[in-house]
Amino acid sequence: MKMPAKAKGIPKTVPPTPWRIFLTLAKINTLTLGGGYVIVPVTGNAFEKQGWIKEEEFYRIFSRAQVFPGPIALSTSFLCSYRIAGVPGAIASVFGVVLPPFLALILVGGFISLYGDTELFKRFLNGAGAVVPGLVGSMLWRTARNRKWSVRTVIEVIVLAVLLAVFPSAAFFILIGGIIVLYLGRLIWKS
Amino acid sequence: MEILNVALTFFKVGIVAFGGGWSVIGLIKQEIVPRWMNAEAFNSLIAIAQSTPGPIALNAATLVGWQRGGFLGALAATTAVIAFPLLAMSLALAFSKYIPLKKNLADESLRSGSMAMVLMTLWTLLPHTTLPMPWIFALASFAITAFTEFNAVWVILGAGALNMLLGALH
Repeated sequence: MKMPAKAKGIPKTVPPTPWRIFLTLAKINTLTLGGGYVIVPVTGNAFEKQGWIKEEEFYRIFSRAQVFPGPIALSTSFLCSYRIAGVPGAIASVFGVVLPPFLALILVGGFISLYGDTELFKRFLNGAGAVVPGLVGSMLWRTARNRKWSVRTVIEVIVLAVLLAVFPSAAFFILIGGIIVLYLGRLIWKS
Repeated sequence: MEILNVALTFFKVGIVAFGGGWSVIGLIKQEIVPRWMNAEAFNSLIAIAQSTPGPIALNAATLVGWQRGGFLGALAATTAVIAFPLLAMSLALAFSKYIPLKKNLADESLRSGSMAMVLMTLWTLLPHTTLPMPWIFALASFAITAFTEFNAVWVILGAGALNMLLGALH
């Protein structure tokens, strides 16, 4: 019987040592622009290609990661790395996700301290900042379009949003309390 | 004690950072405008955080920390914003057998919560001016990123460059 290892489509396996996990994630998080929902699929691809995890398993963990707070790229990488390499893998993943942007932002921060006061650079930052509300709007539009809405979810979102708008200084407590109340509400009345 | 303040602020942000970076921006703004910067500087900061590699909430934390307390400030803010999420995941991994959380119900509740947060973010970021330029930039970027698959990073960099050009023409 022939070994099928070289057949096309079968990923070659690199052992998932903590160092390898760190390198893989550090590379992705250095090169990928555009935030968590861009980084996650790239990470899934890279892990799968190295034979560390199957795609379905990766996305199963990704959907579980969304229950946790924090950047989704961090929680997905953390939980997957724990799954494939235990505690050392999980620790390596934190450094892999956090270190590259940290260093990049230190560089950018230094650059702004040096040139932030020049008229040209100020204009650049103002122009770049002016598009931010539009980006948030489009993110809202896309998530709203992809969600299955019901009377219940519409009411939930409106009530929470109004509370947040009326009592902005209590936003933190409204969110924590609100999410707990919504969860308990769902446990009690299943609709 | 400035650094401690920064760390505490971002620790709080980390606790409710659900549903992708954009949802938490409104909360960050609530915490740091006008305490540490004005609204315009905040928008620029978010534009930078979005157009550099890495998660946006993390990048925003690093930048604010850097501006408030240099390298140590950046380190404190970055560590603080991931502290609670890492703790929560570690506890969940350690005790997952004993937590009877119904994932689907939690998922839907969090989705509603993060949607409300994005609405709040949008509300607090809308231009507080009747000048046409901020509105035109915001509406154009909405149209481009909502209806095409254009990467937001290029919209941000393009808008910055365009505004520089407009300034040079004046």
